[in-house]
Amino acid sequence: MTSSSSNLMLSGIGIGTRKIAGPLHFYRPRVTPLPTASHTADSRAQELRLQNALTQAREQIALLHRRALAEVGQTEAQIFEIHAMLLEDEDLTEAIAAALANGASAEQAVESAAKGVAADLEALGDPYLSGRAADVRDVAERILLNLSGSHGESATKAPDRPYILVARDLTPSQTMSLEKEKLLGFVTLEGTPNSHTSILARAMGIPALVGVGQLDEHYDGSFALLDAAHGTLTLSPDEGRRAEFQRLVEQENEIAREHDRYLRTLLNKPAVTRSGRRILIYANVGDEAEAESAMVNGADGIGLLRSEFLYLSLDRYPTEEELTAAYDAMVCKMQGKRIVIRTLDVGADKRIAYFDLPEEPNPALGFRAVRLCLAREGLFKTQLRAILRASAKGTISIMLPMIVSVEEVRRCRDLLEECKEELSREQIPFDSKIEFGIMVETPAAAIMSRELAEEVDFFSVGTNDLTQYTLAIDRQNPKVAPLGEKNGEAVLRLIELSAAAIHARGGWIGVCGEMAADLRLTQRLLDMGVDELSVSPPYLLGVREKVTECK
Amino acid sequence: MKEFTYTVEDPNGIHARPAGKLATFAKQFVSQIRVLGNGTEADAKRLLSLMRLGATRGALLTFRIEGDDEDAAASALESFCTTQWGDGSGL
Repeated sequence: MTSSSSNLMLSGIGIGTRKIAGPLHFYRPRVTPLPTASHTADSRAQELRLQNALTQAREQIALLHRRALAEVGQTEAQIFEIHAMLLEDEDLTEAIAAALANGASAEQAVESAAKGVAADLEALGDPYLSGRAADVRDVAERILLNLSGSHGESATKAPDRPYILVARDLTPSQTMSLEKEKLLGFVTLEGTPNSHTSILARAMGIPALVGVGQLDEHYDGSFALLDAAHGTLTLSPDEGRRAEFQRLVEQENEIAREHDRYLRTLLNKPAVTRSGRRILIYANVGDEAEAESAMVNGADGIGLLRSEFLYLSLDRYPTEEELTAAYDAMVCKMQGKRIVIRTLDVGADKRIAYFDLPEEPNPALGFRAVRLCLAREGLFKTQLRAILRASAKGTISIMLPMIVSVEEVRRCRDLLEECKEELSREQIPFDSKIEFGIMVETPAAAIMSRELAEEVDFFSVGTNDLTQYTLAIDRQNPKVAPLGEKNGEAVLRLIELSAAAIHARGGWIGVCGEMAADLRLTQRLLDMGVDELSVSPPYLLGVREKVTECK
Repeated sequence: MKEFTYTVEDPNGIHARPAGKLATFAKQFVSQIRVLGNGTEADAKRLLSLMRLGATRGALLTFRIEGDDEDAAASALESFCTTQWGDGSGL
């Protein structure tokens, strides 16, 4: 291979879809030879060196974690929570301690322990789990670097103009630490699409090509074209290729800018159908991070707040104060937009240890949700009081799950009225006109929707449970789950029935199950009179776009 | 001793994040918690031990819990598996 051969094409696995063009820059890590056992024979001294290196590593990983939280989001940032856990993992620390006891240097001990664990993971044969060996090596390299007193900088200086980085492989830490200012993208000779490095690159929006195999170092500094969508790298392209590629890049950029501009214009605009009907696009939210994501994606409100989150994070019942504070935080985050809080939905299918619930043969048909709340009034009233207190500061609606009868709704309303009276007596402010509604997720609720509509302000259809109960299919059972896809019509008819009933009483109806995000059904749902669609935050803009295209 | 079984639903198996969540959760109990599957066994409180199980989607895991808080641990872990690992959307 000579540098004069042009248009040589390498293939790999593309991360992202973008095309980039620029000079290659080879990353060459400084190699520090491992000290041998005699570095200091004293195992106590080695232990101390190791402890210092571990302390540094803890701080460095915490820093990367904070950076990842800010730059790539909570899910991807968990990669560094895993690194922090690996650092403390007994399988690793015990192997290191054993090697030290046998007279190894701290470096040798870390190296051999990590090698053993990484080899075990690679031997599993599963591509996803084997990929985690890279994380073990990343953590081990970090400890080794700290032991050597070096900072892992490249032996070659990064160019001061935009470049494509080339490395044998990059660890997740290195990926997170990349200086993004001049970096166009990267190419790794090794690596897999499922590695944490690839996941981070995707989340950071850095185009990359992994697993290209071989790339001769004499290409360092030469121009190349990286096409992530097609997984190719063209080395030393001639003028014609460069011009053609550049034209495609500009075309792609224009399309991306156009679509992005369009979606951004939708963000702060009400979702109005072509016939002029305003539809509320709400988010399903389970915790504060999701609420944040809902706001970023322009949610009109929260259509389903799964209020279990606080209960799940504790090992005892939360107090009224704790619940109020959590709901206040949501109100604050949503800047006054409506929040529909679903009251506690736990039971044998979603158990919490301290609730001390017995096992049941049919948890989906068992003692759960409002059934449990009505049997444990104290627990229920604590939550209702907290919701009422938070309603003084924002727009909150209460929504009851798993309703099958008018009687249940009345009993819940009585308890709510009791809470209101108590708060009034205690002179604690709340919204006396707080909206009160139910989930329609049992066939009974849909069939009785005319009577139920007289009791409440709104309905919200939980299509996942409604499908399960209507079609008698367990959606966790892959043998029957496809029946749900085929027989959605039965469920749609129940929604239609409920919509007519609540509209006749002047109330509104939303849909908060998976059907709400199914763009093939949007028009149908709107035709039935659905007023609100509540979906998980990543689907918000897509649903908003779809609604504006509907009649 | 308490015991229950769970079939892995996560499409990617018990990879790093689910293993990390389980290890963190299991550490709150004093009981010894073993996870048997794939012809081997793991300590539920240890991340790497769990990852080394190599439990992929559809793997049947048996949780064996032994110790002072085994009752509470067993029911909490079982609900953890279904709510934190499963779909858990509750809809």
